[in-house]
Amino acid sequence: MTSIPTPGPPASGPFDPPDVVWQGVSPRLIQAQLISSTAVAAVPIVAGTVLAVLFSLWFWLLAGVPAALLVWGVLLIPRQVRAIGYAERDDDLLIRKGIMFRSLVVVPYGRMQFVDVEAGPLDRKLGIAKVQLHTASASTDADIPGLVPDEAERLRDRLTARGEARLAGL
Amino acid sequence: MIAPAPAGPTDAGLRWRRVHPVTPFVRGWAAIVAVLVIGSQQVLDDVAGLLRAAGEIGGLWWIVLLVVVAFVGIVFGYAALAWRMTAYAVDDDAAHLRKGILFRQQRHARLDRLQAVDVRQPLLARLFGLAELRLEVAGGSDSGVAIGFLKESEAQRLRADLLARAAGVKAARRTTAPVEPVETTPSSVETAAPVETSSASVEPVEATHGVSTLRPAEEDGSATAGRAPSDGDDDDLDAPPEAPERQVYEVPPSRLLRSLLRLPGLWLSVLLLVGLGVAVALTRNFGILVSAAPAVLGVGGYMFQRFAGEFGFRAALSPDGIRLRHGLLETRAQTIPPGRVQAVSLTQGPWWRGPDWWRVRVNVAGYGVGEGGNAESQSVLLPVGPRSEALTALWLVLPDLEAGDADETLALLDEALTGDARTDRWFVTSPHRARLLDPWSWRRNGYAVTGRALLARGGRFVRRLEVVPHERTQSLGLDQGPWQRRRHLASVALHSTPGPISPAVHHLDADEAARLLGEQSVRARAARAHAGPERWMEGPR
Repeated sequence: MTSIPTPGPPASGPFDPPDVVWQGVSPRLIQAQLISSTAVAAVPIVAGTVLAVLFSLWFWLLAGVPAALLVWGVLLIPRQVRAIGYAERDDDLLIRKGIMFRSLVVVPYGRMQFVDVEAGPLDRKLGIAKVQLHTASASTDADIPGLVPDEAERLRDRLTARGEARLAGL
Repeated sequence: MIAPAPAGPTDAGLRWRRVHPVTPFVRGWAAIVAVLVIGSQQVLDDVAGLLRAAGEIGGLWWIVLLVVVAFVGIVFGYAALAWRMTAYAVDDDAAHLRKGILFRQQRHARLDRLQAVDVRQPLLARLFGLAELRLEVAGGSDSGVAIGFLKESEAQRLRADLLARAAGVKAARRTTAPVEPVETTPSSVETAAPVETSSASVEPVEATHGVSTLRPAEEDGSATAGRAPSDGDDDDLDAPPEAPERQVYEVPPSRLLRSLLRLPGLWLSVLLLVGLGVAVALTRNFGILVSAAPAVLGVGGYMFQRFAGEFGFRAALSPDGIRLRHGLLETRAQTIPPGRVQAVSLTQGPWWRGPDWWRVRVNVAGYGVGEGGNAESQSVLLPVGPRSEALTALWLVLPDLEAGDADETLALLDEALTGDARTDRWFVTSPHRARLLDPWSWRRNGYAVTGRALLARGGRFVRRLEVVPHERTQSLGLDQGPWQRRRHLASVALHSTPGPISPAVHHLDADEAARLLGEQSVRARAARAHAGPERWMEGPR
């Protein structure tokens, strides 16, 4: 399981350079993000509910706002995850993200200083990992979350090898 | 005065040297002054309480004295110990520094990755005739190597040596040395082609560094005499002469002062202060004045820092790159080797338009994350200057933009600095659709491409021009928000190393932006392939 062709929403336009085959990320990232956002929202929701029952109806606000955000997130996260795509070209890596706020980053292999592979406890449980590319620029925001570990490793090795082959100074 | 450092594991072939023995005093005083300043700030908050306390402990003054003496002793003792444990060494590939008392640290700065060399002289060090050498290598925060303090002449010598080694002068000489027969006369050394470097590339090196043509022959002699490991020894013999330099411009203090007076922030705070004065006069409540003190101190501090940091600014050009000297109390002499500047920006505030003054800043890897507040004055290439000087500063970084002949280049730069969509010939600007998103400066947003660099323009009140050499682009980004998408616009960002400049072209037509992204990545790749070597005195690869 190395490639998940992305059905991603932006089918044409500036975020779809010609001759680029996008690869999507694992759908398990949806699960991971849902779980973590639920966990974050759960605390104020539970606290607000308890306080509302015990003291004042105003505390429903405390529970309601995060609950609404959570519902919004649940609706949005699957689409957002499907919108994440990356593509290895001959000389650079493209990473595409976002639906509302779209971004596309082009990272030349020769500019990569190092590659990180990260996986938190939840990610490990679900079997996904994040690959992050670092250049000499702090503003390069190039990470690919939700990769299957095999793919993450393959990508890391491949990026490193390509980076070495094309390594340039700063 | 340099004593060889005996302690610690000595790497073979490295000659470790100690920094100047006065270092502990210079460093220690800095710590004591810091403590005094912090302490006095704490104390001044409560003067009355302090006086009362002083009365109570009046009889115990000797305890206070003892505490102070012990404190000073500890500070200097620690600094002295730190001095004993600090040593540095230089070889052809790296500068080595080891330091630390409890946690030993040994650091190698690769010279081919050297981004800049600064000679820093804080006020106290100046009194002692000392200087600190800072090597910036691009490696994230606090990756620089600070060797200090050294005697001024020693620091100069070390800088020249480091730059010569980083430039590949010594390396080039070494590769030539073994192949030449011992009998070669100096003249034939020049003509005989050495192994890897062509004679054409070696010649100017020797010439520009003022090394006598006899040098290679002499080196041959010593090579046959077996000088293999004792690299440190012949350092002393052939201290490389400083590369010659030519002053390009300087900023007179009067201009600097006038330019600071033309900063809107200053007058805004003066206005605020006048308003406060009126308020105080009306209400007779002096508490208001006290509450404004931090803001006044902040603005005053910033002004003073700008003035002191950029005082006596001089720029010169040498084969080792751009030389900058500036500073009132703490002086700094910076050397930025060729090809180390990642981006240049020219900015002009609203009140600098009358005299047509510009401020030129650069991104240099390593400077952006330098010691706190100094990053601002460190990455200035020209604090303030008329347009001609600003263009000279740009020329220092990019001698040729490859935008056609001289007149055309000038016209392009004029357009880049002050032009807008109505007069543009080269620049691709935001379409009319962007007016709603960026009502003020949509006509200024735009970019132009030359053979060497991308010019990004923007800002109407504060005009700015960012120039990024093609081979220095790290990565590229294309961004589009929901409003931009409706109007079919997108912004392109060119990611540069950390520093004051983050070049971007806002609100371009989306297809145009995508095209720029695609073309720029190709251009950057092509330019990188032809970029000069890291060791700038070696021939092109």
